[in-house]
Amino acid sequence: MTITLTVNGVPYTRDAAENKTLLHFLREDLGLTGTKEGCGMGECGACTVFLNGRTVNSCCVLAVEADGASIETIEGEAGPAGLSEIQKAFDRNHAVQCGFCTPGMILSVKELLKAKPKPTVAEIKEAIEGNFCRCTGYEQIVEAVLDVTGQGTGKGRLDHV
Amino acid sequence: MVHEFQYRAPSSRPELLALLQEHGTSAKVLAGGTDLLPNIRMGIAKPAYVVDCKRLPEADRLVFSPSEGLRIGHGVTISAILRDRTVRERFPLLAEAAHELASHQVRNRATVAGNVVNASPCSDMALPLLCLDAEAVLASVSGERTVSFREFFTGPKATVMKPGEFLAEIRVPAAAADRKGRYAKLKRVKGHDLGIVGVLLASAPDGLRAAVSSAAPTPVLVSGIDASLDAQAVDALVQKAIKPIDDVRCTAEYRRYMVGAFIRRLLPEVNR
Amino acid sequence: MFDQVRPEDLAFVGKDSGRIDATEKLTGEALYVSDMTVPGMLHAAVKRSPHARARILRIDTSKAAALPGVRAVVTGAELDYRLGLYVVDKYILAKGEVRHYGEAVAAVAAETYAQARRAADAIIVEYEPLPPVLHHMDALKTDAPLVHPDLGSYDHIAAVFTPKPGTNIANHTRLRKGDTEKGFAESEWVVEREYSCPSVQHVPMETHVAIAKWARGDQVEIWTSAQSPFTVRNLFCHAFKLPHNNVRVHIPYVGGGFGGKAGIGVEPLAAVLSRAAGGKAVKFQATREEEFSLLPCRSALTYRIKTGVGADGKIKAQEMTMYWDSGAYADYAVNVTRASGYSAAGPYEIPAASIDAYTIYTNKPFGTAYRGFGHVEFHWGLERHMELVAKAIGMDPLEFRRRNALRPGSITLTGEKITDHTGDVVKCMNAAAEAVGYGTLSPEEAERERRTGRKIGKGVAALHKAPAMPSFTATAVVIKMNEDGSVTVNLALTDYGQGTYTSIRQIVAERLGFPLEKVKISFECDTDKDPYDWQTVASKGLLLSGNAAILAAEDLLANAYEVAAQVLRANVRDLDHDGTRIFLRHNPDESVEFAKIAVGYAYPNGNGIGGPILGVGRYVAQGLSNLNKETGQGNPALDWTYGAHGIVAEVDPETGEYEVLKIASVFDVGRAINPQIVRGQSIGGMVQGLGTAVCEGYIYDDKGILLNPSFTDNKIPTAKDIPEVIESAVVETPQIDGPYGARGVGEHSMISVAAALGNAIQDATGAEIVHMPLRFEDVWRALREKTPIDNWITKSPLGSCRSAPELRNRKKDG
Ligand SMILES: Cc1cc2nc3c(=O)[nH]c(=O)nc-3n(C[C@H](O)[C@H](O)[C@H](O)COP(=O)(O)OP(=O)(O)OC[C@H]3O[C@@H](n4cnc5c(N)ncnc54)[C@H](O)[C@@H]3O)c2cc1C
Ligand code: FES
Ligand code: FES
Repeated sequence: MTITLTVNGVPYTRDAAENKTLLHFLREDLGLTGTKEGCGMGECGACTVFLNGRTVNSCCVLAVEADGASIETIEGEAGPAGLSEIQKAFDRNHAVQCGFCTPGMILSVKELLKAKPKPTVAEIKEAIEGNFCRCTGYEQIVEAVLDVTGQGTGKGRLDHV
Repeated sequence: MVHEFQYRAPSSRPELLALLQEHGTSAKVLAGGTDLLPNIRMGIAKPAYVVDCKRLPEADRLVFSPSEGLRIGHGVTISAILRDRTVRERFPLLAEAAHELASHQVRNRATVAGNVVNASPCSDMALPLLCLDAEAVLASVSGERTVSFREFFTGPKATVMKPGEFLAEIRVPAAAADRKGRYAKLKRVKGHDLGIVGVLLASAPDGLRAAVSSAAPTPVLVSGIDASLDAQAVDALVQKAIKPIDDVRCTAEYRRYMVGAFIRRLLPEVNR
Repeated sequence: MFDQVRPEDLAFVGKDSGRIDATEKLTGEALYVSDMTVPGMLHAAVKRSPHARARILRIDTSKAAALPGVRAVVTGAELDYRLGLYVVDKYILAKGEVRHYGEAVAAVAAETYAQARRAADAIIVEYEPLPPVLHHMDALKTDAPLVHPDLGSYDHIAAVFTPKPGTNIANHTRLRKGDTEKGFAESEWVVEREYSCPSVQHVPMETHVAIAKWARGDQVEIWTSAQSPFTVRNLFCHAFKLPHNNVRVHIPYVGGGFGGKAGIGVEPLAAVLSRAAGGKAVKFQATREEEFSLLPCRSALTYRIKTGVGADGKIKAQEMTMYWDSGAYADYAVNVTRASGYSAAGPYEIPAASIDAYTIYTNKPFGTAYRGFGHVEFHWGLERHMELVAKAIGMDPLEFRRRNALRPGSITLTGEKITDHTGDVVKCMNAAAEAVGYGTLSPEEAERERRTGRKIGKGVAALHKAPAMPSFTATAVVIKMNEDGSVTVNLALTDYGQGTYTSIRQIVAERLGFPLEKVKISFECDTDKDPYDWQTVASKGLLLSGNAAILAAEDLLANAYEVAAQVLRANVRDLDHDGTRIFLRHNPDESVEFAKIAVGYAYPNGNGIGGPILGVGRYVAQGLSNLNKETGQGNPALDWTYGAHGIVAEVDPETGEYEVLKIASVFDVGRAINPQIVRGQSIGGMVQGLGTAVCEGYIYDDKGILLNPSFTDNKIPTAKDIPEVIESAVVETPQIDGPYGARGVGEHSMISVAAALGNAIQDATGAEIVHMPLRFEDVWRALREKTPIDNWITKSPLGSCRSAPELRNRKKDG
């Protein structure tokens, strides 16, 4: 089936197999491999993208469902001027380790900040509960979000005894 | 995905109903896809036709009127329930259960209709719908019928719906507005998880209601409980209605215990 | 490598510096193997066993081979290659017999993944199911079926491992120190208990994936999501009897490993398919479900400890018996057994000890390395045991630990003497205890208890671990100077998220005296171009590669100085340098820029000298020895990292529900090269440890079918599951032979978290738990002294669990 959609503002018209997920369409047909697959089951959030302004797990969306839709992926996050503020805060706070969860995590944070410019810690944790991270233990990610929203230094301490 | 199917996205209800009529059990309605697509991926569902119902103009309708009550269109997502002010203020039980369902991304996609048609014993949305006397409007080429959620669930992943039928809308009567209650869901992690066992305790005109998930082949409603009973007595009534099993998530014994524990925890809050 | 440099004299070491790999990971530009394609690449799928143990009677691939897009089909029958790190016991595809549920019996390569999957499904395998042996304790019985009847004929590293042919024992590690009989006889108290934990999954967010191309002339090129490029190559070449220089292994960015990608994984499978497909590249990526049962997991453990304590609260004798569930293949599990064996008593001095640690074959997915290398599992038992012994003798558990802790002068189980530089475990314990207010409730906590009706408890658990590695483990680092005077560093230690490269950049910049921007660590590893490194495991990376990096930096400077000395017509001893030039100490204006000599210096007349400047640093572990196979005596430890966790838990004494309110982790890291990276390792491992402690674990039915091979029923911690308050601290007792005094901490953060939690829950409620994980139901059962549920191998497999389609199908069929 032929579908037309915009991804990060760029219009595309492509043939998409009807049983292809949006995740695989983005990765295989458009070469946008920043969106990752961690489970293919809607559990882990590695495949998080914006579909018409809201985050979804793209492994649980068919590409053909996105006909006419506007999609945002991690590739659209950094502008010509460089990293976005969220990305910079992740960098400053060591919120990245292996990086496999990072694209989805950043988009979930972006969705949160649209609704809540100054989220509480509990709100941050709830917003990213659908994004599994096996490396960081989440704490430095939460600190990055506090940092980018101007709440506290955002930087945890390593104490010396 | 490996399984191949044909995708249809009808733009009107008659068109959709005709497709469902034509293809019978080989067609599956696609709402949010958060149950259907994982099931296709795992080979549990193998539809020849996937009929997307989200392009119907009335899909996302979520309206309340004192005459018709709350009408939840088949495409209304769990997130839409949470965002809706009327729902939050007048049907807090729906919002509370919606908040417990899955993760933010899943809620952005998952629908209330899909949740009940899926008919999992652990369905979060079934509990408030049972407590609120909600009804399912089932449409097919031969017309519409309305079924109370008390009769809707017939077994694990089974409902009264017949091939060719479509859950067009969920209706919550206006009389159920402002019903208060509390929900407790036992999970293995604090993050998103299917309920190991869940209890929603609510007050209704005919007395207390207890809706219980993951403790029987279907979500269970016990209604007309004398509001003056103590927790032990309420628990005794509920225990008679449930039939929990042992599985990888939990033993039947602990499920039974936690139903009682939740009743003890929630009852004072509901009676307050 | 430890020079007495005062922290304030260091420019980069000990300071926070941004991760070198952050930008590409934040933007989605970092390419992982799962993102890669190679021209003409085919996709692979495997046919897997639905049985835990069965004879393969017949495999019919004819239908599969005829399907559209299929380019190759292989079965075990046509492959005669065996793999194994320490005991060579595993075929690439099962041959004759399947030994665990989910084992691969055949594989297909096709144009698309869907075609490959369909073809694999169309392969017909006829099995004769055989009775499996599932529980490792059952496998020890004399009448137990043998998982490997031919064990006696397998190659193995005989200097280190002792398989017992005719049994299911893949290895027996023995250790004897002092006179235990006498020790027990002199003891005031003797306490004996048993502890256990199930198998668990590593859950890297990127599943195992490899692309292999077997080109003409047996030239093999592999791109893989793995931890150890040279080990992949080495084991690959051994299995296929290929010269090492025929095989090239690339490792780009890796989406997590945690030990599960330490050795060789799916590479041979992709390679044999590529060969069968005429040399086209083949990609195999495990699905999440395959990750759980095709690929290895962490071994289950049953740990029995008998401790004799004197009237003074000092341990006099301890008998330790470990039963490790290896699953169907020995892989790393035999070495987990060995390393756990010689560390089995934790950071305590035991004057008389006896240890018997067995690796036991069963018909289950096999065990491998997992962050902590056995220490997470046995410290669960050991640190619960220390708690229970202390309670039994009426002593405060922390005081009991302190009294028995290893100190300078103590002799370890293997006969090593602890020195002032080994690290300070008592300091770690005390700091962790203090951070959580051990022993009392604060007024706020007491008030909270009153308000909620819940009970607050506190627990501390200590830990130690040394790298488990061959005694002669080696690595090398090469630093190449670029035309502009910047440098590029090559090493084959991989960075799959730990941040080691960022720390090594700091070390190199420090030693070179260059600004950080001038030092690049090359990310992709390539066995054709990088110098050797054994494996990225064992928390040895920073120490060994850090030392090699220092040596390489010094070598590079020596080379540069030699050229500069000629140019400046000076003695090398009179030279000094800064970030851009080498100059005369006594006349700093006389100088030559690094850029001028980087690739050879040219005199004004055109004559050249020097040539490209580079530095090579080679480092090998020193002074280590194989352990005596009878007594376990010898020196296995490169370094010991000590640590402790303190936990505050709040428990509902009725239901067993609980919450971790606070955790404080303290490690003696020698020196924190990059504090934020240490903190990231500390917290990341701690949360992974909480996952193990709280909810993770394989559940099998009584036929050996894995019931929870997915995130639906194998939960891992989410952001909501982390404690409200997390504190990380370090003690810095410099490691004399560590780079700037540093030692490893990558694994340690995961160790003893479960025990600290168990101790806190017991402190709160008295619940005595000896099996992990600690699900709410387990706590509830312990509180009521009900029989614990042993659903790890269960007779009641039914349920609403949607993650076991095989089971559902089986039910339908039967
Ligand atoms: C990671 C994850 C976590 C989850 N957690 C929870 C949880 O905590 N609690 C919970 O209750 N559920 C949970 N679910 C299940 C699922 O998200 C919900 O059941 C969801 O509400 C289903 O809605 P959907 O719109 O996505 O349904 P779909 O997947 O689109 O459909 C589900 C089924 O209903 C049928 N269907 C849908 N709409 C109609 C209609 N209008 N008429 C007729 N048939 C229809 C479909 O054919 C299909 O068989 C989870 C799922 C995932 C992937
Ligand atoms: S890949 Fe989509 S949620 Fe895991
Ligand atoms: S950084 Fe590795 S999974 Fe999050």
